Order: sequence, then C-alpha cells, then structure tokens
Amino acid sequence: MLAALLQRVAQMLFVMFGISVLVFLIFFATPGSDPAARIAGKNAAPETLIAVRHDFGLDRPLPVQYAVMMKKLFVTQDLVSFVNRGLKVVPAIVEAAPVTLSLVFGAALFWVIGGLAVGILAAAYRDGIVDRVLMILSLTGVAIPVFWLGEMTNLVSQNRLHDTLLFSWVPALGYVPLWVDPVGWFKALLLPWLTLSLGFIGIYGRVLRANIVETYQEDFIRTARAKGISETRVLLRHALRMSLVPFVTMFGLDFGALVGGGALVTEVIFGLNGVGKLTYDSLQSLDLPVIMASVMYASFFVVLANAVVDMTYAVLDPRTRSH
Amino acid sequence: MVAKSAGGTIDPQINYAPLYWSYYGGIYDGLVTFRKAGGVDSLVIVPDLAEAMPGVENAGKTYVFKLRKGIKFSNGKDLTTDDVVASFQRIFKVSSPTSGTWYKDIVGAKACLAKPAECTLEGGVVADKSNWTITINLTAPDGEFLDKLSMPHASILPAETVARDVGIDPIPGTGPYAFESYDPNKALIWARNPHFKEWSAEAQPDGYVDRFELDFGLTADAQVNAIINDQADVMFDQPPASRLAELGTKFPNQVHLDPQLAFWYLPLNVNLAPFDNLKARQALAHAIDLKAVINFFGGRNLATPTCQILPPGMQGYKSFCLHTKDPGSKWTAPDLEKAKQLVDESGTKGQAITILTEDGEISRNIGSYLQSLLNQIGYNANIKSISGNIHYGYIQNTNNKVQISVTQWYADYPAASDFLNVLLGCGSFREGSDSSPNISGFCDKDLQARMDKALAVGITDQAAAGELWAAIDQDMMQQVPLIPLFNPKQVTFVSKRMGNFQFSKATNTWAYTLGWVQ
Repeated sequence: MLAALLQRVAQMLFVMFGISVLVFLIFFATPGSDPAARIAGKNAAPETLIAVRHDFGLDRPLPVQYAVMMKKLFVTQDLVSFVNRGLKVVPAIVEAAPVTLSLVFGAALFWVIGGLAVGILAAAYRDGIVDRVLMILSLTGVAIPVFWLGEMTNLVSQNRLHDTLLFSWVPALGYVPLWVDPVGWFKALLLPWLTLSLGFIGIYGRVLRANIVETYQEDFIRTARAKGISETRVLLRHALRMSLVPFVTMFGLDFGALVGGGALVTEVIFGLNGVGKLTYDSLQSLDLPVIMASVMYASFFVVLANAVVDMTYAVLDPRTRSH
Repeated sequence: MVAKSAGGTIDPQINYAPLYWSYYGGIYDGLVTFRKAGGVDSLVIVPDLAEAMPGVENAGKTYVFKLRKGIKFSNGKDLTTDDVVASFQRIFKVSSPTSGTWYKDIVGAKACLAKPAECTLEGGVVADKSNWTITINLTAPDGEFLDKLSMPHASILPAETVARDVGIDPIPGTGPYAFESYDPNKALIWARNPHFKEWSAEAQPDGYVDRFELDFGLTADAQVNAIINDQADVMFDQPPASRLAELGTKFPNQVHLDPQLAFWYLPLNVNLAPFDNLKARQALAHAIDLKAVINFFGGRNLATPTCQILPPGMQGYKSFCLHTKDPGSKWTAPDLEKAKQLVDESGTKGQAITILTEDGEISRNIGSYLQSLLNQIGYNANIKSISGNIHYGYIQNTNNKVQISVTQWYADYPAASDFLNVLLGCGSFREGSDSSPNISGFCDKDLQARMDKALAVGITDQAAAGELWAAIDQDMMQQVPLIPLFNPKQVTFVSKRMGNFQFSKATNTWAYTLGWVQ
C-alpha cells in the first residue's frame, strides 16, 4: 500500500515537473510575450524596461528563472503575479479554491444521483419507452455545450424572465461564501450546479446503462437469477455494483479535472471567481506565475483523483483485490 | 460597479490600466489636475494640491508651485513638501512605466533611471519648507509638463510610502475617497476619506456617493443584465455588440455615448516592401471605404470616419482628408481607380502582403476586408490573426517584420504630441523592442524638428502651437506612415437610479465623483 502511495506521489511530481517546464518554455518561446514590455506598460523607455527586467529577475538565464520561480511557488510561497503585481499567487489560489470546490461538489452530487437514476431506470426498462426517452434526453444533455447552456440560463433567469415569479429568486451573478450566508450560497450556486452537471448526467447515465446491460450477460448474474433472487435485487446488488467500475473511473477523472480548474467556462459565465476563472484571467493576460500555479494545482488534483479511483476499484470489484 | 476582471496593482504610480485610472481621480491628487467636469471643460488643467498654477521661469525650464496648507491624507497625516519630493523620487524608484518617457526631463532624472534605488532628483525637485513651495527644474523645456503632472503617475503620496510596487495594499491619498480593500479576484472597495475637506470644487469636488464597490468577474453580457436588474449601477466594459440594439430601444436614457480621444488605424511599416513605397501607401489610403469599416465597429453611432491622426477635440485638430474621391475637409468616398493607378505607378503590383490582426471580431473583420481590398488593387494579400494579448507587443517589434496591422491608440493626456510624437516621432521608434509605439518605423528629420518646435512653442503659446500641430498633422498624412480609420465612442450603460453622468474628455472616463444615485 505504501509502495503504491509513494509511486503515486512520484508520478505526480514527475507530471508536475514536466508540465511546469513545458508551460514555462512555451511562455518564453512565444514572440511578443516579453513580460518586461507588458509589465512596464505602453511606451516605456528602454531604461524602464531594463529596470523592470532586473526587478523581476527576467534578465537571468532561463534555468535560473525557472528555479527561482519554482522556489517562490513551493518553498517561500511568495510568488507574485506579473499583472496584478503584489497579488501572491499561492494565497490567491487557496482563496479561489472554495468557490471551485463548492461548484464542483454540488454539481457532482447532481450528476452522480442523476447519472445513477438515468442509468438504472433505463437499464431496468431497457428497450421500452422509458429507456428510449431517457436515452434521447441524455444524448441531448451531452450534445449541449456548457457555454451555450450557461448563457441561455443567464439569458432566461437574469434577463428575459428575471422579473417573473419563476426566476425572481435568482440572485446577481457571483459567489456568496457558505459561512457568510448559507441560503445565499445555495441560491447563487443552484443554476451553475445544474448547468455544469447536465452534460455529465447524460454521459454517466448512458455509460451506466450500457454497462448494466453488458453485465447482465455475465455468468454470476445468471447464477443469481437461478438462485431465485428478485430482479430488482439482481439489478441493484449484483449488476449495478460491477457496472460502477467504469462509472467511478470516469467520475474520478472528471471530478479531478473540474476541481483543478476544468469548470472554467461555468465559472466565467456565472461570475464565480474560482480557480477556473483565475486561470482564464491569467491566460487572457499571459500572467505566467498564475498560469504556472494553477496548472500545478490542476495536475495535483488529476493525479490525486486517479489514485483515489484505483483504490475504489478494490472496494467495488473483489477480483481486483488480489492484484 | 462591475468589471470583467481586476486591473492590476492599485499603486497609482505604477498602474497603467484604464480601469483604475478611471477611479484614481477621486482618491489621489497631483500638484495640478484636469478639471473634474464633463466634455471640453475637462480639458482645462487647474491647480490641485498647488494653490495656483505654477510660475514658469527660466525659459520654460523651471516651475514653481506653492503648496496648499491644511490638506490631510486619508490616514490623518498632514501633507507637506516632503511628501511631494518623496513622491517624485518614488516615480523612479518603482520604475514607473512612464518614468523614462514623461519625467525624464527633470534634472537628476537620468541618474535616477540608471540607478532607481538611489534616486534623489537633486536639483530637480526642490522644496522650500518654510515657504511651502516646490520648484521643479527641467533640463529642457517641455510644453506638456503640466499634462504629465496631471496624470496618476504623478500622484502625491505620503513620504513614507514604500519604494516598491504596493500591489494590493492601498496607499493613503488626499482625495474625497480612500481605498478600503482590494482583492483582485473579488472586488475593489473605496469609501469616504474622513479627513477630506473640499479645497477646490474644480480640482477635487467632494463626492455624492458614500461608498463604491467594484466587483470583478462578470462578462460584459452579465454586466448588462446586472444593471438591468438593479444589481449594479455602472459597467466598466463596453456592452457587447449583440446587446446594443436592445439597450438603445429599451433603455435609451441609461446609455451614454461619448467621443473618445482615440483612433483605430493601420500602421504601415515604411521600412518593408511594399509600404516602403509612398505610392503604395497612398494607394491603400485611397482604396479604403471608411463607411464599410465603421460598420464592423457598430455603425455611425459608435464611430466617426477620420483621415487624420489627431482626433476631434484635440489641440491642433483641423478636419481634412487627403486620400478620398474629392479631397477636402471630409472623407467622401473611396477612389479605387486612383488606387489601382498608384499601385501600377509604384511598381509594387503583385507583391505579397500579410495583414496581422488581433483575434477579436472587429479586428478580424477589418483584416478580412483589407485582404480583399488589397487583392482587388493588385496585391497578393493574406491575413494572420494572433491573440489580442500579445498582438500589440508583437506588431511593435521590428524583428517580427509586420507589414501592416490593425490597432488603436488612446490618448494618455489631451496633447497633440501624445498622438503625433508618440506614434510617429523618431524617439519612439526602437528597433527590436516590444515597446516601440512608432510601429510604422517612421522617422522624418524635418517633421521631427517641427514637432520639437511645436512642443517648445506650446510652453508659452498654446494657440500658436495648435497651428503648428495642425500643419504637422497634414504633412504627416502626406507621407501616409499610417492610415487612420475612425474615432470610436465610449458606450457607458448605467442604472436608472444614476444621475449627473459626466464624461471627462481629458481622461477618457466618467467623472464619477460628480455622479449620484437615488
């Protein structure tokens, strides 16, 4: 167990190192992205550029700059943004994380429950009308891009129907901290949760249905049925459990990516200043320190989520325990 | 108030972003400032922390200011001449963006630029504590020195302010408001300065509103909704084009359209073929249909076609158009026949041209239009678009060999040289640098000498300088180092409870301390 854990940590460090070098080099290889000229402002005199370059350590060799940046990011944690000078990057991410976590946890709840419900119902009534309707709805959910859905939700709830009874409860876009106003928090996040989870419900529902149907062909199901166990019990206790393995794999990857900033579009559309929004802003202004930090943060969560997924396999599928 | 994202450091001597420049006016003061008013009234420079306009001596090289007494910073500390001296030193110590371009003529500035940390400006900014006077000595006369002193970079801050970028920690100021808190990922908040007493209604009127909150993180579309739903009073970003019709018909009283001291233009690289040929440059200027171009920006209500570098309202502005069907005071129509003829004469027919645009919709559309136009008059044009984040730095750098591009220029302060000298002066052409606003690489010794003269004349006689700038504008356009397209207007959408909206022409922003809410 310990060996596996250490291997995971080593993997994570390797991934993070590779990503950091790539991002760093891409930034410096892009023509026109000279940070000194951007930091100094338009029409800065050559002397000012030199002073700024020196101030930010941009006149040092690239490996040194890289090492200094990593040291500031991980050891001293005083790396500051190139754009919002004075903004410390690590605390900025730490502060933005609760917003992203609130969004992703809530959405995950909706999509796990929704995905399970759709998958189980469709499998239980497979090839019937319920199955067909659910599958068509799921496909529609998957096909709708989240940016469009988000904009439409805003158009309806913030603009066209905002003054009607249906949407008059919708607060202004933005985040309300949970510990400041729990009700406000819920109101502010409900529509973003639904928007973010819709596509996932579709995917997870369809995948789960396919897996349950496939599992029905397995010998142990036949055995269970032969034993006279009720159909509902066969579905929920036997078929579902085995079919959850791919479900969990997908969930781990998606959840990790979303917590790592993958909910960027949803955050931007709903004015939620989370990690995704921070990443989006830093990409807009080529703010290298923030890009670096948010990429590190994202890769950390992706690797972490994968590790958790691997461990869950053992719980779900007894056959993997011996490995 | 709502904006898409934060505008960087709140250090007024370092920040160069329009977002916070809009709000510094009510928080910090300089020795002089632009009058807090709407329209052309805002173009007048009035004494601010100084009692009166300075005496100018020594052939325009010495300015003497008498400081007002009894002014306090928002932390309760009295303003003294020490604060003024320290603030000028700080401009160099923190490597303010404009330290080397605007304030380089102060005696001692050269040493400060070379070694910022040890900056003293000895002999440059001299305080007489007992008489409350500040004397600023320049190495050469500068007709725009007072304009530059009116900008946020010359804000007077407490002497003990740290000599580095304060980033997100507010610095006390002398205006009617003071920053309360700042989180670039959430909001900037400012409220009344408890120590403020109005000393000049022109320079620094007391505000009406008690507290301002500028929230970050809403897209332009969401900002419009927030105002319609009474969740915000002012949006900083321009409303998206798709919402303009709705705003114009449903909320006409809440939309303000204000001409800006700015223009969109095409810099032509005069050192690369084919635009190293005057006739090739003239040909393109004749061919462009400016009416078609302004449609890409939102039509006649949002932009006015222009054929010259100086925008309307600027010192020295005299309307003229050289490259159109019937040259005169105004653009009339494109002249394709003449353009084709000029291309033939120039001997550049068939040459390859790459247009470099930003990835924004307007720039790209203008680029595509130019591509078809250039092909039509005999070139072989193609278009490349790059991210708006790096476009401006990229097109300035001569190493990238950009022939023609689409870009825009917004005045820092309302002076003719901020257009003519900055965009086409020999001094702002720096080869191989990302900071070279003379994108055309144009340097004409004769015109440069005339600009220097106009700058010098402006110290004593603004009207005469205006005449000189008007002539320079025309003669510059004879050489077509760039092709002006249009002067844009600022669209500001405010809530229905907002009153007394005034747009300051000088600062290209609303005079927010004059506004009130019901």
